[in-house]
Amino acid sequence: MKKTLGAVAAAAAIAISLSACGGSAPASTEAKGEINYWLWDANQLPAYKQCADDFTKANPDIKVKITQRGWDDYWTTLTNGFVAGTAPDVFTNHLSKYPEYAAKKQLLSLDEAVAKDGIKLENYTKGLPELWVGQDGKRYGLPKDWDTVGLFYNKAMTDSAGLTAEQMANLDWNPQDGGSYEKAIAHLTVDKNGKRGDEPGFDKNNVAVYGLGLAGSGSGQGQTEWSFLSATTGWTATDKNPWGTKFNYDDPKFQETIAWWAGLTEKGYMPKLETTVGASLADNFGAGKAAINSTGDWLIGQYQSYKGVKTAFAPTPKGPDGKRASMFNGLADSVWAGTKNPAASVKWVEYLASTACQDVVASKAVVFPALTSSSEKAAEAFKAKGTDVSAFTTHVKEGTTFLFPIADKAAKVDGIMKPAMDAVLSGKKPASSLTEANDQVNALFK
Amino acid sequence: MTTTTARGAVPARRATGTGTGNAAPRGRRRTRSDLRVALLFITPALIGFVAFYLVPSIRGVYLSFTEYSVLGDPTWIGTKNYTAIFADDLFWNAMAVTVQYVALNIGFQTAIALGLALLMHNVAKSTFIRGALLLPFLVANVIVALLWFWMLDYQLGIVNEVINWLGLPRIAFFGSEQWAIPTIAGVNVWRHMGYTALLIFAGLQSIPNHVYEVASLDGASPTRTFWSITMPLLRPVLVLVLVVTVIGSFQVFDTVAVTTGGGPINASRVIQMYIYQKAFGESDFGYASALSVILFVILALVAFVQMKFLKGNESDLD
Amino acid sequence: MTTSAPSRTKPATTVPTPRKPVNWRRVGAWTLVAVAVAVTIAPFLWMLRTALSSNASLASNASNLLPADFSLGAFKRVLGLQSPEEAIAEGGSGAAINFWLYLRNSVIFATVTTAGQVFFSAMAAYAFSRLRWPGRNVVFGLFLATMMVPPIFTALPNFLMIKNLGLLNTFAGLALPFLFMTPFAIFFLRQFFLSMSREVEEAAMLDGAKHVRIFFQIVLPNAAAPLATLALLTFIGQWNEYFWPLLVGQDESVRVLTVGLGVFKSQSPQGAPDWSGLMAATLIAALPVLLLFIAFGKRVVNSIGFSGIK
Repeated sequence: MKKTLGAVAAAAAIAISLSACGGSAPASTEAKGEINYWLWDANQLPAYKQCADDFTKANPDIKVKITQRGWDDYWTTLTNGFVAGTAPDVFTNHLSKYPEYAAKKQLLSLDEAVAKDGIKLENYTKGLPELWVGQDGKRYGLPKDWDTVGLFYNKAMTDSAGLTAEQMANLDWNPQDGGSYEKAIAHLTVDKNGKRGDEPGFDKNNVAVYGLGLAGSGSGQGQTEWSFLSATTGWTATDKNPWGTKFNYDDPKFQETIAWWAGLTEKGYMPKLETTVGASLADNFGAGKAAINSTGDWLIGQYQSYKGVKTAFAPTPKGPDGKRASMFNGLADSVWAGTKNPAASVKWVEYLASTACQDVVASKAVVFPALTSSSEKAAEAFKAKGTDVSAFTTHVKEGTTFLFPIADKAAKVDGIMKPAMDAVLSGKKPASSLTEANDQVNALFK
Repeated sequence: MTTTTARGAVPARRATGTGTGNAAPRGRRRTRSDLRVALLFITPALIGFVAFYLVPSIRGVYLSFTEYSVLGDPTWIGTKNYTAIFADDLFWNAMAVTVQYVALNIGFQTAIALGLALLMHNVAKSTFIRGALLLPFLVANVIVALLWFWMLDYQLGIVNEVINWLGLPRIAFFGSEQWAIPTIAGVNVWRHMGYTALLIFAGLQSIPNHVYEVASLDGASPTRTFWSITMPLLRPVLVLVLVVTVIGSFQVFDTVAVTTGGGPINASRVIQMYIYQKAFGESDFGYASALSVILFVILALVAFVQMKFLKGNESDLD
Repeated sequence: MTTSAPSRTKPATTVPTPRKPVNWRRVGAWTLVAVAVAVTIAPFLWMLRTALSSNASLASNASNLLPADFSLGAFKRVLGLQSPEEAIAEGGSGAAINFWLYLRNSVIFATVTTAGQVFFSAMAAYAFSRLRWPGRNVVFGLFLATMMVPPIFTALPNFLMIKNLGLLNTFAGLALPFLFMTPFAIFFLRQFFLSMSREVEEAAMLDGAKHVRIFFQIVLPNAAAPLATLALLTFIGQWNEYFWPLLVGQDESVRVLTVGLGVFKSQSPQGAPDWSGLMAATLIAALPVLLLFIAFGKRVVNSIGFSGIK
């Protein structure tokens, strides 16, 4: 009780100090009322709706109102909400955004709740819980799910190209010649006259099907675009992760990787960056315009929804260090520091992080929940639907994941890196220009 | 400009004064009582002006000298924001991009609007046509932007389908660096050309017919009539239109925000987009306020220069 | 615009000029007009065509002039008549859009601000045109200068002020910055008042009527036409307002149509935008203004050039 009161008092103090002369109602100490919950993934909405219903059955005094907002809108509206004092009580949080919110004291710390309610952090997939502890040592989220990156490919195209599933699952790559990864991409590229990318007479200006699709430059993280390649060269984005303060975009290993990747567009195996504005990587794949897409497991359902296209999955290629790699991202749910219902909100977060909810999410086979047991259930649910997700779970099993970069000033870093990476990918500037961008980024941390 | 035929009439309408030379003695007494009544009439507008224009402007200027991330308190940092701005490549890029946009937008918009106005004046006076041309203006900026974003889409847009059908390579209107700004300028020309045309058309209507008749009697060709008579007489209207549209054009935002978001790379990062990004994306309100102050100064200068150079206050009719 | 001496009409009775050259020019002119109208209207037709298509077929029928796989699903989705599962299946988002509520909010917002703006601006315009008082020109110049202030410059401080007043997410907070005046409205009305004849007013003043009475009983009724025009133009502008309601009116209870549209656009799942739903939404959002325009269009069109011309 004391600890809850402590949390409540802290929350109330923050709420009052934040809303200047707006009169805020004193935060309730009981777990009841209506709480607002936000998320951005429309595909996961049905699962969480069910969680909300179940939660209310178990806690009749608490109602959960779920709002879904698309990614673009989600963060600006959230920040707006912080300022306006109208932020949701609980919301899905992201590793790249939460440091700023924690620094600005917009997040409620969950340490007391975890201790009091005996939440066992070891039940979560390894590596996840620590990610959500801020620089100040306080915990700001309970793990919700995890995801990795893999290669999605059009089975019919690889079949007619003579590439077996075995081959696709064992590609290798290096920054010099691209390894069998580039060979596969080249072979899968077909121009309008039917010539493949590795055949003489291939017209790179008239491509009908690209070997590798393109979503964007990936800015400074390249989660699904190139990070799984750069990580195998031994390169890390920051000096330490989480909470690095020195970035390494000037590293030749990184620049080589990007140069190779941009080179794919030169050769005609990957679309030009300018064509991606307003386009969707997934929809283009569904329309048969690309053979391979490197993207995340949260889109499995999406890629399987395209009529007439059979999608298969392969793990990311092995790199110069002989191993695969995948960025490991884990979402969590956080509580807003200004919530008027801290007790109810914390209870909802705990529910979201418990097997009761995560098993429901697992059964819908959309994402991999954070709890190890639920995660396994998800893999089974995928299997029951006929989807082999070993390409994604292998990274967890083999320990070939690396963390999403967590650092301060993420928005400013992005403002520098996105145009810089766009310039390199569109061929406007060489990869060495990233050194200059890196200097600008590091200047932010001086 | 609406003074009746007597050429020698006092140019009362041009100056901001009301009628001159009425009952003089009464005027003196009235001046005093007018002030009180005037205050009564002006008060609501004054409240609006002070509360929502003046005070925020001052506060905005104050914020420009601070570092403020909205979720904390502003901290005074003097002119650091301004010195940073002048060293900021992205700022100069924003200025260059915006100027390019304004030049393209206003250039084409005014020319097309002028042409349309002439057509309407000489040929097609029907309300239906004027109404049709006004249609794009009625629809929100956001809607127009989304509509053209769809029509100019690289893969699925109808415009690119036509281009493809003509055998030419598809154009990434919003994705290519060279095309981004011209495309956005074009979208806004489409939106505003009808409205601007109507403004100019009204100006054309107010040119007395006898001027044209004199010209045709003297044997002037249509081109000569246009350049030597219509244009000069249209000048006040054109200046007004130019001043208003240039100011509006400098502040383009909705279209960019909804389509390119400032990209590709920095090709469409106009100044207002940059300000918004700094304020709401990077939570750097101090810097954003400083940028806004600079934008305001530039706009005031531009308007001043236009009015001065084009002598918009005078009318050749008088 | 009155013709002068009768002698000028003589040329009209002379030999008819050869018609041919004039005809070509007219044909050319009419063609240009037709092109302009086509360019203006065609995109709206395309909007309709897309709104009546189904998302899945859009890719394969990109150049078909008729709706691709005709379906009213998009409209149903926008109006909230589809279940989330159906919506996702058709390529839309599963979230509901509270269309009727947003419509109501837009109506309230636009009407209240229009009424306030027109009325208060008329009062101020009267003071600037009919009354003589020291500093009048200076103050008018100041008011005009505000036209040059970039909206984004005042948006943030205004937002902070509204927040401190506790008026966020209320209609009051939404309407306040627009309620009292805009420089354009004052300018517009002042120009009109300046050109109005004073005889009736002067007669009334001789009879001892005060300014307030003159304003309400003579000036306003006489200015009914430009007032109506201004009201129409203002209403249209307020209906299409996006940025401020985005900042201040996020809550469902006060969200207006334009903001709702923006949210709808961004709710599409990780695929491409829900094009057909988006086009349906924009059509519906534009409808009220279009209807108003059809009803009162002639007035708007005929008076659009009024400001500063006379």
